[in-house]
Amino acid sequence: MSGVRTLLGLGLLVAGSRLPRIKSQTIACRWGPTWWGPQRLNSGGRWDSEVMASTAVKYLSQEEAQAVDQELFNEYQFSVDQLMELAGLSCATAIAKAYPPTSMSRSPPTVLVICGPGNNGGDGLVCARHLKLFGYEPTIYYPKRPNKPLFTALVTQCQKMDIPFLGEMPSEPTMIDELYELVVDAIFGFSFKGDVREPFHSILSILKGLTVPIASIDIPSGAGTQKVGQGRLGPYPPDSCPHQV
Amino acid sequence: MSSAAGPDPSEAPEERRFLSTAEAAALERELLEDYRFGRQQLVELCGHASAVAVTKAFPLPALSRKQRTVLVVCGPEQNGAVGLVCARHLRVFEYEPTIFYPMRSLDLLHRDLTTQCEKMDIPFLSYLPTEVQLINEAYGLVVDAVLGPGVEPGEVGGPCTRALATLKLLSIPLVSLDIPSGWDAETGSDAEDGLRPDVLVSLAAPKRCAGRFSGRHHFVAGRFVPDDVRRKFALRLPGYTGTDCVAAL
Repeated sequence: MSGVRTLLGLGLLVAGSRLPRIKSQTIACRWGPTWWGPQRLNSGGRWDSEVMASTAVKYLSQEEAQAVDQELFNEYQFSVDQLMELAGLSCATAIAKAYPPTSMSRSPPTVLVICGPGNNGGDGLVCARHLKLFGYEPTIYYPKRPNKPLFTALVTQCQKMDIPFLGEMPSEPTMIDELYELVVDAIFGFSFKGDVREPFHSILSILKGLTVPIASIDIPSGAGTQKVGQGRLGPYPPDSCPHQV
Repeated sequence: MSSAAGPDPSEAPEERRFLSTAEAAALERELLEDYRFGRQQLVELCGHASAVAVTKAFPLPALSRKQRTVLVVCGPEQNGAVGLVCARHLRVFEYEPTIFYPMRSLDLLHRDLTTQCEKMDIPFLSYLPTEVQLINEAYGLVVDAVLGPGVEPGEVGGPCTRALATLKLLSIPLVSLDIPSGWDAETGSDAEDGLRPDVLVSLAAPKRCAGRFSGRHHFVAGRFVPDDVRRKFALRLPGYTGTDCVAAL
């Protein structure tokens, strides 16, 4: 049974000397000289927001997404903390727009945030914190924690804000469906390659059986690997990752 | 953790809407030390929220091309760093910021924030005209990110002091971040012959001197104070709605 999936882009809009001059509307990650059609270039520089809304967003490949990241870190001197904070905040904002508290059954609405072992997991930690401030009741499952100050600090911030961390993953999808109204998938991001190792393989199998909506940060975790295959987390051809808000 | 300043017991808890300078510093220390927030995180959230506050006070669709040009004047300390972040987000929001940042701090945070602005083609002025009419004509509004609470006006150098003297005569709108630069953060003295901003954007919570603010809009910006901390300082903040990071007082 398929539920609702929402893809949330990491997204930061960058306008700079090496990228074409762009006027932003929404938070999205953009790249390349070809994503505005010729009529845009001739419009005299004043973007009509309605026209922009209908312009297709370009999807980045994994290589492009990594290249954007590298440019932000190396040329623009953004720090990982900065971008992660902006990413997590914008994801929480997007989730709150897609699933406003007033549309949910519980007050406050309960959300399970599953954080993976890398930066996507870090985005999830930031997202959970902002969801709490927005009036949700998040719970985090964070089984593999990198031993780096960035991540330990993010965990502390969540713990100090009384966001519980589960000791183990609920073993049945129905258990999650009963306790939480929404699941945030912050397991794997655009850098993910290769096989899905435990415990995440089992986690992804459980998520496939959910009926509550899943919001994926950046990409549906596991997409792009042969092993995930069909179903609610795919299919996506290998080496291409949709990346959108 | 001990904090040197807690809530003033003579003020009823539900009525406290302002923080003293010492309390603001204690609140920040709690976030940095107990909650392990990074300074860069908080500065980013404050700067982003300040830019959002500017968009609420001066919405883009209502502005002419000239009115979208924003001069952001940044001091050498944390208030200036918030200004740099604010300028970057204003750029993303399609305003046209220009920065005057005469006393550049050497610390890594300021340097990286400066690089980010430079790489986004935000011009940095090498000097600020002392003739205020030139500023009135060139820009639609000015953001004052020169001095925060706890920084003595005498501590900053000549260029900032001269800039503030010029800004006192401004006729285009002025937005001050956290406190109007030059005001005493506690008493708001110098409010008469200091800067008279049209908009005050209090960061995280209003400071005591905000009681003497008499401009058009007062916002609280920077939605990151955990509930427990808010209660500990017996702060009554305006309700943020939805996903807003700015609330009007």
